[in-house]
Amino acid sequence: MNAAAEEVFSSEEKDILQEVMNIAFGQATAELAEVIDIFVILSVPNIKVVKGRDLPGYFINEMDGSSVVNLIEQNFLGKFSGQAMLIFPSGAEKELIKLFNQENAEGTYDVDIDTLEQETLIEVGNILIGACIGKITELLSDFVTYDPPRLVVQDLAESSPSHFPVDEDSFAISIRTVFRFEQQNVEGYLFLITKQRSIKWLKKALQSFLESFM
Amino acid sequence: MIFAQIFDTINNGLLVIDREMTVKYWNRWMAMHSGIAADEIVGTSLFSYFPELDQPHFRRNCKSVLQFGNFCYFSQRLHKYLFPMSAPGSLADSFDHMQQSCSMGPLRNKDNKVEMLYISVQDVTEVVSYQKKLVIMNHTDQLTGVYNRNYMEPHLVKEIERCRRYDHNMSLLMIDVDLFKIINDNYGHPCGDYALKTICERITSNIRKSDSLIRYGGDEFCIIMPETSEKDAYKVAETIRKSISDHPFTFADMTFNTTISIGVATLDQSTDDVESMLKKADEALYSAKQSGRNSVT
Repeated sequence: MNAAAEEVFSSEEKDILQEVMNIAFGQATAELAEVIDIFVILSVPNIKVVKGRDLPGYFINEMDGSSVVNLIEQNFLGKFSGQAMLIFPSGAEKELIKLFNQENAEGTYDVDIDTLEQETLIEVGNILIGACIGKITELLSDFVTYDPPRLVVQDLAESSPSHFPVDEDSFAISIRTVFRFEQQNVEGYLFLITKQRSIKWLKKALQSFLESFM
Repeated sequence: MIFAQIFDTINNGLLVIDREMTVKYWNRWMAMHSGIAADEIVGTSLFSYFPELDQPHFRRNCKSVLQFGNFCYFSQRLHKYLFPMSAPGSLADSFDHMQQSCSMGPLRNKDNKVEMLYISVQDVTEVVSYQKKLVIMNHTDQLTGVYNRNYMEPHLVKEIERCRRYDHNMSLLMIDVDLFKIINDNYGHPCGDYALKTICERITSNIRKSDSLIRYGGDEFCIIMPETSEKDAYKVAETIRKSISDHPFTFADMTFNTTISIGVATLDQSTDDVESMLKKADEALYSAKQSGRNSVT
């Protein structure tokens, strides 16, 4: 981290957040499997402090070049506020549809396949985002509410900084995780972008979290 | 006190159920639109009144709310509605059920444990009705009421793909009114419009519901005919041609005759996409014109 970023969020804080994320994601994956039969593997999260104006470039870098994607975005609001972005490579919807729709063998829903695919992406996104954020905030004693998720098929190379809920000059903490569905062979990315005004709260909450173990 | 009043006066359905799916609260909006009073349903299982909700999908969403404190959304686009209710007022003519956009979220107790969940129900029938009208308008030719060109290309792409996948027949007719300009010049534009409308009516009465008649250009039309061999397409084309040429047109006090030329194209090895299919039909139409009009090629 450079000096300015280090000032916003120290290496030590980053380490604690990393630990919180590990626990949160561990619990989230276990419960997703147990409760709703979704078997997903979440990689060790990568935490970065990024300036608002650098977010679009940062995404393209992190995405290994594939820039046309299905993006599910959802704002969350609590003491921990920001935007969750779940990114599936285009084409993943065809695989994911099998995840949920065994029970409603085609025909249950009177809709075309495109709608079913899009709605499946949104539902999977909503569940994953909710489970991950829910567990993080639970560990940090906060509760958040959400906007309905939106699906955008987007070329990341064309997204502008104004797309993100972060001022160009302020800092965001980006938490990036690669997730993989065991049965579906689908991989994607989950980014949690926190707003700068949450960072103050996050620092305190992480401190309390650490103290609870002392 | 205030919140209790809001609960009952808000223009949205609101209900609260516990972990066992027992209804705890049921607001007046729900009572009004479902016809089930609060004192009837409170204390009983939601599924006893709405057995159709007892589906894996609904239960999965309840679990994710109760377990993770998630919020879930039931979009109108996918579900149409969660609670079967009549569409309000005159919209009941066009919708069997009120179209609903619903969401579900956690309610926590003092210890922050999720104890119950709420469901909110929003009536979006009016919006859906506008959306439907927009889609229809976007696909309809204003003068004749048949499909327009916006509709054609995506529909043709889908049909070609489907028929190729299942190795089925498919034909395309390209139709042009012979010397249409003369009708406009001799009898005026209102008469020209009448002729186009009447031609569409006559064509429509000679094709199946599964065929799509499209106004392709000014006096050019196109018919997409799924499950139709070249031979059958010729037959239909011949019937359509005769329905125009054999019966005079009457507008105001004027009576006149007109004819059409038709080009037929059928899906085969050489025509496997929209462009080649249209090109083939266009070429056939051109030959029909060259051979003296009022004919099918």
